[in-house]
Amino acid sequence: MTNVVPKGVRNILAGISWPVYILLYTPLALVAFYSLAPAPNTQGHSFYAYGVLFHDGTVFAALQRSLVLAFGSATVSTALGTLLGYGLCRFRAANARGLTANLPSLIIYTPIIMPSLVFGISELIFFNFIHQQTGFLNAGLLTMVIAHITFQVPYVALTVFARLAGLDPNLFEASHDLYANGIKSFFYLTVPVVRPAIIGGFLLGITLSIDDFTISFFTAGPGSVTLPIYIYSAVARKGISPEINALGTLMITTVMVLAVAHFFISRSRDRRASLIPT
Amino acid sequence: MRRFGLPTKLILGAALLAGVAGPRVAQADTPTLNLFIWSNYITEGIIDGFELQCGCKVVETDYESNAELAAKLKAGGDSQYDLVVPSSYYVPELADEGLLQPIDHSQVPNLTNLFPKFQNPDYDPGDKYSVPYQWGTTGIVYDPAKIKGTPDGWGLLYDPAQNPNYPFVIPKGEGRDQIASACAYLGYGFNCSQQSQWVVAAKLIEQTKKRANFAGFVDETPARDQMKSGLIAVSTAYNGDIASCYADGSCKNLKFYLPKEGTEIWVDTMAIPAHAPNPQLALQFINFILNAHTGADLSNFNQYASPNQASQQYLTGILNTELITPTDDDNKRLQFLQPLRGAQYKLFNQIWTSVLQ
Amino acid sequence: MLATAAQGEARARNFRLWITAGPGLFWIIVFLLIPSIVLLGIGFFTSNDYGSPVMPLTVAPFSQVAGYSLLGWDDGNIVIFLRSLEQAGIATAVSALLSYPIVFFIMTRPASVRPLLMLLVILPSWTNQVVRTYAWLELLGPNAPVTWVAHALGIVPPDLGIAPGVFAVTTGLAYNYLPYMIVPLYASAERLDWTLVEAGRDLYASGVRLFWHTVFPQTVPGLLSGVIFVAIPAFGDYVVPQLLGGDKALMIGSLIANQFTETPDWPYGAALTIIMLVFTGAGLIGFRVLTRRLGGTGEATI
Repeated sequence: MTNVVPKGVRNILAGISWPVYILLYTPLALVAFYSLAPAPNTQGHSFYAYGVLFHDGTVFAALQRSLVLAFGSATVSTALGTLLGYGLCRFRAANARGLTANLPSLIIYTPIIMPSLVFGISELIFFNFIHQQTGFLNAGLLTMVIAHITFQVPYVALTVFARLAGLDPNLFEASHDLYANGIKSFFYLTVPVVRPAIIGGFLLGITLSIDDFTISFFTAGPGSVTLPIYIYSAVARKGISPEINALGTLMITTVMVLAVAHFFISRSRDRRASLIPT
Repeated sequence: MRRFGLPTKLILGAALLAGVAGPRVAQADTPTLNLFIWSNYITEGIIDGFELQCGCKVVETDYESNAELAAKLKAGGDSQYDLVVPSSYYVPELADEGLLQPIDHSQVPNLTNLFPKFQNPDYDPGDKYSVPYQWGTTGIVYDPAKIKGTPDGWGLLYDPAQNPNYPFVIPKGEGRDQIASACAYLGYGFNCSQQSQWVVAAKLIEQTKKRANFAGFVDETPARDQMKSGLIAVSTAYNGDIASCYADGSCKNLKFYLPKEGTEIWVDTMAIPAHAPNPQLALQFINFILNAHTGADLSNFNQYASPNQASQQYLTGILNTELITPTDDDNKRLQFLQPLRGAQYKLFNQIWTSVLQ
Repeated sequence: MLATAAQGEARARNFRLWITAGPGLFWIIVFLLIPSIVLLGIGFFTSNDYGSPVMPLTVAPFSQVAGYSLLGWDDGNIVIFLRSLEQAGIATAVSALLSYPIVFFIMTRPASVRPLLMLLVILPSWTNQVVRTYAWLELLGPNAPVTWVAHALGIVPPDLGIAPGVFAVTTGLAYNYLPYMIVPLYASAERLDWTLVEAGRDLYASGVRLFWHTVFPQTVPGLLSGVIFVAIPAFGDYVVPQLLGGDKALMIGSLIANQFTETPDWPYGAALTIIMLVFTGAGLIGFRVLTRRLGGTGEATI
């Protein structure tokens, strides 16, 4: 495919893209730089902020809670969203018009277009009401997970739908002809094909959850502090301290290391696989 | 990734959720005090001390603004938390809305430790719904390297001649301080209360917004950090915030003063939400904080003044200077923000919204 | 005979539809639609002095949305609305303009490197939004190297910074929303049929014409998804204008937020939200109708 795009165009593309990549990481470099700020009343750069961070139990509790929240909600929302996107793509009659066609779409878009504050306050009032009436759903991690699942499902559904939409419907006929029932078709035909979309939706869900502040703030119970809530509080009180910059740097570095490691591992795995004579 | 297909993911997710919901069943036994407070406003030491004394557990959750606190209480939080810490001017509003319960003074003997002026304040006569926690003043902080001379009033913010070039900010929030300070500058007094005066003050702020060196609406504590990094040269500030950054050396070169036309003295108070699960524990906690030594520990930590007369002898360092303990001269310029009740509140909010637009 | 078979099939189809799409839709209905309808119902109540809803029922909050307040009428809300619309437009345009070169740049790299390059684009959005926006505040502040250049060129008065300002806000928006445009666009581009491009070249088309007629139409599904993922959140966003624009101009998102917090008036806030939802919903439906008319590419969005 590279021979289709002429060299001149390729150079222009590179000329635009590399500066954008650099610009993407400049603020992060600044964050890393500030995380090395000297300790109070001293001179010279140091890892002082990292030391403070590691001794701060609340940060790790917040981080752990954020991760549990993100992975837990993303798993459920990926499952729900994949089924939702699949169902709407496969089984909605192609000639549906009016309400049947548009209603599911509007329902799916609602979490995306609802402002976070209204979303959060509605959930708080709702959960509080349920708690008063039934004693279940005490405000805490569970209520946060439910709220997070709710705003992630549409993104997964949209991503899976988009991937499925271009699929040749005859493939489903073919699998039916091969005596696969609905469930088998789903797991052996659909899932492998939309796998990138499922993974993409899962990652999108985690991204949305990890950075959410408003909805988490309102649905949190006493003591349920997530990372964004912690950072927001710390920033409001002490400003962007070196500890906060250290936290940000650590998060980015960890993910980058994992991503690069994954890249090299899968590349060497592919290379080894290609050495096996077929 | 085929190994982690959908069925596995579903099981993992369910396990995580079970892990989340499970522990709830276990921990119902120890009485718990749910504390909802400004972040970084209380120490581990004080919390541990209270836990020892009451044989209970304290769960601390933080918030950053009175507005967030009020929103959460209104939406159902008043049955989740046992103790909240609203600022003085919010107390009448929360009480009127039925979100707070009266404090049983018979269970808080240490109330007598407070200075007389805090035992019967304007904003909450007789300390019916609230008990003072910490107090402070609002003033102006500036960078003398950029602003020459000795400014001494609100003019440094509102008069273009006093600061024609350097970036400055004014706080956002609910607008109470800002309209009050504009009124003071215009000569109406810090607590002007007539609609016509509010409108003139609002217009002054709108004109200030239009100046080229206006760098935006930034609240006091974040503004202090922008001052530290040199992003702005003038801003309002809380005296305690400035005291802490003097103490850790990060703002040695900045100067703070109380504007001569009048400025705010504020009190953060402890209050009990109307449907608190454990009001008894809350009362014990209030009494604990009012203890002379606890009060001093608190102030020595967050560098704000203590309303506790009995604590004064234990205060150290900067707390005894004029920055934290205003002189009599200063005291004449300090006023509590008058609470707004009823229809006035609504009118004020609409005026402030039109300024922000 | 044939009729009942068809009916049976339609029923089976409906059943499968409910089994698969049902749980997700049900979840959203129970956990968002119902709670929001309750909250937004507040828009029809009168607001008491402290902003809480009380009887009697009324449409007064909606007249407030139209601009009437205790101070008479003013056009503030219309200005806020247009401003937010403009912000959505800028965010969408800038992220689209940046996404195309980057996506096609990634496409010209070997297939093994592509996931890594994509991840590198998305990664910055995994830092906390507050932390990275503050970094931009420093990078564009009065003391930053970039600002010295601006001072030298006379674009910015000395002693002031590029931030807060319009350019800073645009940068912040582009930075935040780029990943949301790139992901769907890349998904589309990955499935591109290059034989069409070759066919176009055989027909002596070249350069921009070639791109416009062979490449671009194939990327439209991804572009449309990206537009939705960017425009809708950007319309209600207020964090970037708040931090990088100095909060000098209210956006509809912050106006609504204020009604529940700083200047409480819950019925007004609910009414504003209803109007905003109606507007966005109408825009979405219109968008879908439009994409269907553009010849079947609309299937790519739900």
